[in-house]
Amino acid sequence: MPIKPNVRTGGVDWTGENPGMLLKTDPAGDWSVLMLFFRIVWSPVGPGNILLLYENPGKGAGLPECCNVIMADNEALRDYIKTGFIEKLGTFSDAPAYAASSQLTIDNVVSDGDPCGDFYSETVTGGGLTIKLVWEELGKPTALELPPELTGTGEHVMYSLLVDSKSCYVEVNGRRLEGHPVPREQAGLPLSTAFLYYSETWIFPDK
Amino acid sequence: MDRISVNPGSVEWSGENPGIYLKSDPDGDYSVVALFFRIVLSPHGRGVGAIILGDPDTAAGYPEVPNLCLTDNRPMMTYLLDNFASKFPTLVGRAGVEAMSWHDVTKNNQDNRNMPHSYSEELTAGDVTVQMTWKDLQPPMAIEVGPNESATKAHDMYAVFLEATDARITINGTALQGQVVDRQFFGRTMSTAFLALSETWVNPNENG
Repeated sequence: MPIKPNVRTGGVDWTGENPGMLLKTDPAGDWSVLMLFFRIVWSPVGPGNILLLYENPGKGAGLPECCNVIMADNEALRDYIKTGFIEKLGTFSDAPAYAASSQLTIDNVVSDGDPCGDFYSETVTGGGLTIKLVWEELGKPTALELPPELTGTGEHVMYSLLVDSKSCYVEVNGRRLEGHPVPREQAGLPLSTAFLYYSETWIFPDK
Repeated sequence: MDRISVNPGSVEWSGENPGIYLKSDPDGDYSVVALFFRIVLSPHGRGVGAIILGDPDTAAGYPEVPNLCLTDNRPMMTYLLDNFASKFPTLVGRAGVEAMSWHDVTKNNQDNRNMPHSYSEELTAGDVTVQMTWKDLQPPMAIEVGPNESATKAHDMYAVFLEATDARITINGTALQGQVVDRQFFGRTMSTAFLALSETWVNPNENG
């Protein structure tokens, strides 16, 4: 069924890319690693990159004890996304790691691979860290348009282009973090907790 | 209106597709038709490219006339041109499309640090450097259209549009002639310079 033409009357909160990984060492246990990366091409406080990585989500500590970090190359954008978005995602903001994470500056981000190919990666450097994010076993691209009840914040309409990933890993300065993606469900789709989201737009509710 | 959470169609491509259409005579046809592409997903991989028609109705390429295509991924750009851009109302039937010269991009610089005041894309291919600059960007609007309203008349399309009230294109520092004009776009009066970010095109036929 084709979509109908529409200009959303709700304002745009932000738009860009928002891939992530939620990993477990024990499928029945807690998260062992949580990661979200943002490449934002428009927001009210400008564009930029943000990486949120918890090597140990349950630990209220940052560097050097463990790699619980929030990295950004636009501090205003980092704060905007933390308060307006991350803090509405309980999995990330309720974790003890959130408040304790070390805040670092991103110096560079390099993308590699092909989301329609064998792998896709982002390599983020800054603060003495080189963090490599790799997604493999990539699924068919799927366009989503989710109402508030199906989005992470519960408040926005969200457009996105999903590429599911059945295998992934995170390396911090060459050291691979522990854990694997597990099954999840979104909008009735059986998916993995490793995902690429491109051309993602978060829209405030229609006026 | 009907909403579909999971579009059953086949995704064609996704990325950025800003454009600049200029007129030397406000009552005449476009003197410049230009599109930029930053593609993050397509059947032919990722890449950047631009179609610059500074003499749209002349069947000749650069350097005779400023009709040129620059890209770092020719298969991707050919796919975009054949299946999408050549069907856009501003490009359809233009003699410059078939005759434009092709150039392999060696360097791309995007400057988005000065939004909303300005935004630019610069492509270098050998001794040719093209710069596209959008100025005075307006608040974004999220849109979605079906096949009847999309530029190809065949696809679903999602995007975020930002109108630019002024724009400029230079080739090796020399500006192409013309100014932006107003047009009707999704029921609104907007200029002919725009950013189109987070844009995804979907073939609504389930199996593509």
